[in-house]
Amino acid sequence: MKINIPRPTLYLIILSLLLFIFVLVFSFTVLIPKGKEYRKERITVKKAEKELRRYQDFHNETTTELQDLQKKNRNIIIAFDKVFNQERFEKQYKKYFSSLQLSKLATPVKNDEFLSYEVNTTSQMSSPKSFYDFIEALNKADWIIGVNFPIAFKRDGELIKSSFTMKVYCADQNTTKEK
Amino acid sequence: MKYSYIKPRPKSVFTLEVKLLSTFFSISFLMLFMTYAFLLFKDYSFEKSLKSIEKRDTQLHTSLAKMKEQIVYIEKERALAQSIQTENTVLKDSITNLFDLVPPRITLSTAMLGKKSLILKGITPNKDVYNFMLQAPLRSIFHETYSSFYPAGNGWMYFVSTNYIDEGNHEN
Repeated sequence: MKINIPRPTLYLIILSLLLFIFVLVFSFTVLIPKGKEYRKERITVKKAEKELRRYQDFHNETTTELQDLQKKNRNIIIAFDKVFNQERFEKQYKKYFSSLQLSKLATPVKNDEFLSYEVNTTSQMSSPKSFYDFIEALNKADWIIGVNFPIAFKRDGELIKSSFTMKVYCADQNTTKEK
Repeated sequence: MKYSYIKPRPKSVFTLEVKLLSTFFSISFLMLFMTYAFLLFKDYSFEKSLKSIEKRDTQLHTSLAKMKEQIVYIEKERALAQSIQTENTVLKDSITNLFDLVPPRITLSTAMLGKKSLILKGITPNKDVYNFMLQAPLRSIFHETYSSFYPAGNGWMYFVSTNYIDEGNHEN
């Protein structure tokens, strides 16, 4: 039996077949792998976004923690950052003594991440209570100051002469800048 | 001579079938290429997102590390400040206690306080007053207590009391 297909129809069928094959090949070799890749990437991006959100939350928590800490310890931070001013100290704390002299600051010593200066102090006072008041006031000072041993008290007529060493602590500017 | 009664129509390549077919395939191709373009765009957009996430992640990491360092540093500052304040308070209390320890009948002329030592110089009406009223409480505080006396001239005695905490470690 002979099938008689007209030539234009045959061309049409061949063209249709070619186009159909192209569609199939394009779909299976390009589109479907790309689609799979897209799904994978979408999951990856979603995961990364989720991780980033968690990290951002943690970052926000840490920021709040730091801000709270800075707020609560504002005075301490300022005190550590303040450079010791001998004249100002004498002016502020002279009221506790009949006389107060500070020796020149020695070269600062680096201690861990802080610098400390030794200040030799000699003073005269009418009663030990002045010294107690001075130490109490020192705890509220503009600087971080510790009174160190040895402390010597000597009777000097009606007054008590005292000599002791104070250690002034401040933040190491190099370390602070790095932070 | 005419062979047909109708007028000849111009023949075109674009027959109805070809038009139908080309429409169908055009739509199919358009859909395919649009999908492909969408996937390409998404690919690019994901890549961009990932890069931006990575950048933000690095920024957060740096910022977090800096903040953690700051927190540690502030905590160190706080700890140091608190320890200095405590030491100052303890020192004040020690000196208060020391001066409270001295009875009114004994007068001190010198008091030298070291970390682990105490040297007192003064005047006492007699040895017994010193021994009972000052040395006894000093002995309860210090591990080693040495006292020496010499006459003051008016019947009173000068005394020097040297006291140490921790045997064998006589540092200031």
